[in-house]
Amino acid sequence: MTLLSLRDLCVTLETPEGPAPILQDVSFDLAAGGSLGIVGESGCGKSMTALAVMGLLPARARVSGAIVFEGQDLLSLPEAELCKLRGRRLAMVFQEPMTALNPVKTIGFQVAEGPRWHLGLGRAEAEARAVKLLDRVGLPQSRFSPDLFPHQLSGGQRQRVVIAMALACEPALLIADEPTTALDVTSQAAILDLLAEVTEAAGLALLFITHDLAVVWQNTAEMLVMYAGRVVERGATPAVFDRMAHPYTRGLLAASPGALDAPLPPGRRLATIPGQVPDPRQRPAGCVFAGRCPRAEADCLPAQPAERRLDGHAVACLHPHLEETPL
Amino acid sequence: MLRFLLGRLGLLIPTFIGVTLVAFFFIRLLPGDPLELLAGERGIDPARKAELMAQMGFDQPMWKQYFDYVVGIFHGDLGTSFASKKPVLVEFMTLFPATAELALCAIILAVCLGIPAGIFAAVKRGSVADQAIMGTALVGYSMPIFWWGLLLIILFSGILQWTPVSGRISLMFFFPQVTGFMLIDSLLSGEKGAFLSAVRHLILPSIVLATIPLAVIARQTRSAMLEVLGEDYVRTARAKGLTRRAALWRHAVRNALIPVVTIMGLQFSFLLAGTIIIENVFYLPGLGRLIFQAIAQHDLIVVKDMVMLLAAAVIVVNFIVDLLYALLDPRLRGGRHVE
Amino acid sequence: MWSEAWQEYWTRGRGSIAFVFGLAITVLLVAVALLSLVWTPYAVDAIDIPAKLQGPSAAHWLGTDQFGRDVLSRLMAGAVNSLAVSLVAVGIGAGLGVPLGALAAARRGLVEEVVMRFNDFTFAFPALLSAVMITAILGPGAVNSIIAIGIFNIPVFARLTRGAALSLWKRDFVLAARVAGKGRTRITVEHILPNIASLLIVQMTIQFALAILAEAGLSYLGLGTQPPAPSWGKMLNEAQTLMYLAPQMAIIPGLAIMITVLGLNLLGDGLRDLLDPRLRRER
Repeated sequence: MTLLSLRDLCVTLETPEGPAPILQDVSFDLAAGGSLGIVGESGCGKSMTALAVMGLLPARARVSGAIVFEGQDLLSLPEAELCKLRGRRLAMVFQEPMTALNPVKTIGFQVAEGPRWHLGLGRAEAEARAVKLLDRVGLPQSRFSPDLFPHQLSGGQRQRVVIAMALACEPALLIADEPTTALDVTSQAAILDLLAEVTEAAGLALLFITHDLAVVWQNTAEMLVMYAGRVVERGATPAVFDRMAHPYTRGLLAASPGALDAPLPPGRRLATIPGQVPDPRQRPAGCVFAGRCPRAEADCLPAQPAERRLDGHAVACLHPHLEETPL
Repeated sequence: MLRFLLGRLGLLIPTFIGVTLVAFFFIRLLPGDPLELLAGERGIDPARKAELMAQMGFDQPMWKQYFDYVVGIFHGDLGTSFASKKPVLVEFMTLFPATAELALCAIILAVCLGIPAGIFAAVKRGSVADQAIMGTALVGYSMPIFWWGLLLIILFSGILQWTPVSGRISLMFFFPQVTGFMLIDSLLSGEKGAFLSAVRHLILPSIVLATIPLAVIARQTRSAMLEVLGEDYVRTARAKGLTRRAALWRHAVRNALIPVVTIMGLQFSFLLAGTIIIENVFYLPGLGRLIFQAIAQHDLIVVKDMVMLLAAAVIVVNFIVDLLYALLDPRLRGGRHVE
Repeated sequence: MWSEAWQEYWTRGRGSIAFVFGLAITVLLVAVALLSLVWTPYAVDAIDIPAKLQGPSAAHWLGTDQFGRDVLSRLMAGAVNSLAVSLVAVGIGAGLGVPLGALAAARRGLVEEVVMRFNDFTFAFPALLSAVMITAILGPGAVNSIIAIGIFNIPVFARLTRGAALSLWKRDFVLAARVAGKGRTRITVEHILPNIASLLIVQMTIQFALAILAEAGLSYLGLGTQPPAPSWGKMLNEAQTLMYLAPQMAIIPGLAIMITVLGLNLLGDGLRDLLDPRLRRER
């Protein structure tokens, strides 16, 4: 059953220098209990997609298209209705754990706030629930009293609290926006394991946003690659990794330090994709990636390529790689 | 928390000592002999002077005079006023409630109007309402308070005749002073119209005195709110499903008020000075009168004691503000990190 | 290179209403004050009893006071007084406070402790009140007003300078200079001070506004500039007894003070918006 379905989502930001199309024709489906990874570099719009689903876009954003969640189009709902869904049916974990928590309230209070707000639990009940949740995310009461304040915890520990907050009302969908980017490597691994474990145990659908291909490989069943506000490749994760039809996806792989099984030979530098992501206000009419693409040709320039199905996945490119990915 | 408290108290003591030192020596450093100054043009008979000096203890060595002074403070003996011959402490306690009442009314007004105004302006940032509030606040703290007081007197007492020109209560009423706070005493007296009269006399001076703190508090609240509204934890609250309003009040406002509390401590200093000026403008009997009379009469003992008392008040208030700050912001209290 | 920076500031400044108005008012004020040094419509002390307490008229644009003196002329001369006293007082405050603060930040340790204790200590005395007492005891007059106001400006600048300098000392470019062997004084002068200049300018504008209010307050209480030299505060004080006879006497000098202070506050706000966002972005 499809839990979340985006149809041609377009988000444009009003800026003093003109409208900036942040997202263009983004569509995907996420099944209940499934896991979808959105990968791309900074500025490609992946965080915006997450905020759009949650309804937390900035005020100057113009949105069109449809975001259907549990049968309702979120874009047509009034704010009051959205408030009822946020935290209750959809939850989000943000990128920066150091600032995500209110410094003057205890972690127990903050985890309990959701259940008290949505489920009407009394203080004692909500606190008991908070203790259980904290325990679930690896912060047992014996060492982590719910009366602790955020500044007494490390980054990894704070992120666990954020995850506990997200799970508090037993949502159906968990959106994780680069939850480990700001953490050190050991904490990263721990948090990723935690996320995998809780989503599976609770049957949660997971929308995982990251710039790290290795994370997508390990944690998601399906994936999307985004570039400059558009989806350029999508499919089941293994299939995409096998094929990597879009030149951008290959470029991402080549630039990932962990991509190659063997360490780089001395003297060899990490490959980079030449050029820069175009400013949203100056997107070209044709394929957005054409300017930086080693395989671009004249027919790439007039219009954005439509998605084509190749075996196991889809790609928006006129000249995709057809051979297997060298891994 | 306890360590924080003790640390703060520890800082207080040298400051207090310093204050008494300054108060004491400042008077001594003045040009002219205190007794000659007091005598003024009449001059003073040397024999009488010697007598007075022995009486006042001026013939003792400096350090002994200082020591006696400090010891006296602890006994509540602040010396006797030259001019009125009454103990300074008694005069102070008689006039203190009037000043305190005015200052309290002003600060309550300033906080109750200023903070909501600042929150409103921040939430409606950039709107006409925001600019109007901030513009008014700007004008508010650009005005000399004695002028503002005069203007309001001309308008409300002169032209409209809504409020009286001076004093704390209409001359018609006479009742015993229980607390010294006119508002309370007039209620306690049970006389008809007394309370209303007290309010009418207090309202204009309070408004004038409250204007500058109100403006400053409104501005500071607004900028604190703006900063807080942009913080991540407000977004987290909304992601949990809190409505904009709930996220505002439960998370943003609470955090924004923390820096505003420190402002209040600074405003107290201003309030002291302002109250004394306002007492002058509205002819209210209070510490202002005491100070000005003392200055006019070269009554150095009173001046010295007032300096010390007021500085002590400021120090105490700042100490309380520091405490409040630590209470409101757990980050200041320390607390061990969990590994 | 410098002129480019100024050009940019000017263009940005023009867009800020606060800055434009503030600057306009301040410039106007200074111009009027300077003008009064060479010319005023009437002589400042020209007594003309028959013409006393008149309202504004063609002959006397702002009317006359209780001695028949032209209010406009006295107002202009009062501007010089307010500006001069405030300027010198803030100058003393900054001139002593900034080096103290810079020293505290550069030396740390005992020096810093001493400076900070002195600061906190001075803050303990309510500024205006203590200024009142200082002038009352030292004797009223412009010079003593300057001293009294100046003393309380010192800790403001010391605290500001120390705070800003401390965070600058941790920055990489300062570390680089230290590694290169530059002494602390040189670093302070070459690196620290130029970077906090904008903060100091904004604060000086604010302090200037406060000093004008303080000077007016002292003059109002009879403790500031003494007659016959005109001062706005004293004019207000004299007007208090004449409030009902000639209300304009109470309104006009106060209005002058208010407009001046408002102009300075606007300028300070405008400057802060102009200069601070650059600081913010750098962070």
